[in-house]
Amino acid sequence: MNFRPLAIETELLSYDIGNLTIIEDMSIQIAQGDYAAIIGPNGGGKTTLMRLLLGLAQKTKGTIKLFGMPIEQFNSWHDIGYVPQQVLQVDAAFPATVYEVVRMGRTVLKKPWQRFGASDRAIIEDVMEKLGVTELKDKLIGQLSGGQRQRVLIARALVTQPKLLILDEPNTGVDITSQKKFYALLKALNSDYGMTIVFITHDIGVIADDIKNVICINRKLLGCNAPQELLTCSTMSELYGVDAHLLHHHH
Amino acid sequence: MIELFSYTFMQHAFIAGLLIAVMAAVMGAFIVLRRYAMISDTLAHVALVGVAVGIVSGQNPLWSAVIVSLVAAWSMEYLRYVKKLYSDSIMALFLSGSLAIAVIIVSLAGAFNSSLFSYLFGNILAVTQEDITTIAVFSIIVFLFIFRYFDELVFVAFDEEVAKVSGIPVGWINFLQISIVAIVVALSIRVVGTLLIGALMIIPAMSAMQFKVGFFKTIVLAILYSCVSVFFGLLVSYYMALPSGAAIVVTALILFALTMGVRRN
Repeated sequence: MNFRPLAIETELLSYDIGNLTIIEDMSIQIAQGDYAAIIGPNGGGKTTLMRLLLGLAQKTKGTIKLFGMPIEQFNSWHDIGYVPQQVLQVDAAFPATVYEVVRMGRTVLKKPWQRFGASDRAIIEDVMEKLGVTELKDKLIGQLSGGQRQRVLIARALVTQPKLLILDEPNTGVDITSQKKFYALLKALNSDYGMTIVFITHDIGVIADDIKNVICINRKLLGCNAPQELLTCSTMSELYGVDAHLLHHHH
Repeated sequence: MIELFSYTFMQHAFIAGLLIAVMAAVMGAFIVLRRYAMISDTLAHVALVGVAVGIVSGQNPLWSAVIVSLVAAWSMEYLRYVKKLYSDSIMALFLSGSLAIAVIIVSLAGAFNSSLFSYLFGNILAVTQEDITTIAVFSIIVFLFIFRYFDELVFVAFDEEVAKVSGIPVGWINFLQISIVAIVVALSIRVVGTLLIGALMIIPAMSAMQFKVGFFKTIVLAILYSCVSVFFGLLVSYYMALPSGAAIVVTALILFALTMGVRRN
């Protein structure tokens, strides 16, 4: 069915903590250029799945491939941009300017013994401009609003010019106006730059028209569909245990 | 005041003190931001075991302090990462445990005397030419590592997980960081003393953070605070015949209090 090369592929992926199975025999495929949402209730294994894909947790069984390569051998991590939950991840007292935080993203591409060069600066400034955070560059990260911080963390993830962007609960602590801008941005990254986008959310209300692939998980994989098909399937009630229905967003 | 600088022992104290001030300020900022401030105090007590071994065996206590601190720092990281023990408990264990071992070594050797006292609180008369060479050699190594890995250290301090995902070798950076802290702590036993180096690492960073500026500027301010504290501390130590470490730390504290007062609004 899917002829595009895969960005993410898992096969019979399992993760246990002691006797507790957090993720069981999960086989998912996310193609390059896809715009996918991983949804499921809290405690359903979304964060664990994301941590496994990012190499932050070690699987118990199964395989994970990133861009066709087993995760154990994968080493072009700069092709993956990761945006953590800003409310959890940002230490408001940390003395770093917005510019310094965005620049951190390029650390891994910098040549040893050298400072950031003109080409690094050009890319950093370009990404900051696109994300609308140029005016904030001298502000401390702790002085920003939730929406501004989120854009800064996305900018940091984008300065390596990744092929895949993974976002964890991107709407937590972000106001509605910022959320709208945020979805427009993700859409542009996906359609204009062909970037593969995967985000994780427990909030089924955010599934927008632009999303091409919805992956429902609750310990197991429950469904993997286009959002329109998902509307009619019984997955929602299985997922949330109630007669939930999906609200469609129109930008 | 000029004649002060004509004394060789004062020249030694100033050279050693200022080299340590710079290294302590930079590494202090990192450990403060990583909520790991007590590590310097713990390693300082561990360094005392090295001093005790040095005094008893007749070797240069600076070298034995560096070696013992490094071994202890690595053991602590092993217990933290591999054995998954709580880091504050590990620090308490090493802090008290190493003090006990140090006291037993010097007691058995009958070496409980003023020379040990000078390692606790610093002594400007104690810095020898050999110490200057040792401190200078290690300073070069430390500065090279800081220069090479500065951006990696910043990223890991700000957000260890994202740094790891982006491909930064976080394990190596953490190992490097604690090793540098261990070396800086051990080197400072002559001028600042083992009981007081923790304060010299932490207070300048805390003062600098009051300015609420970016990371690089914070580091520069911390170095400035640290150097001023060491400079005036050594002067006070000379004129009032006080242990140098105590004079340095009290100067740093006064500067911190002044900064807090000025930056309150």
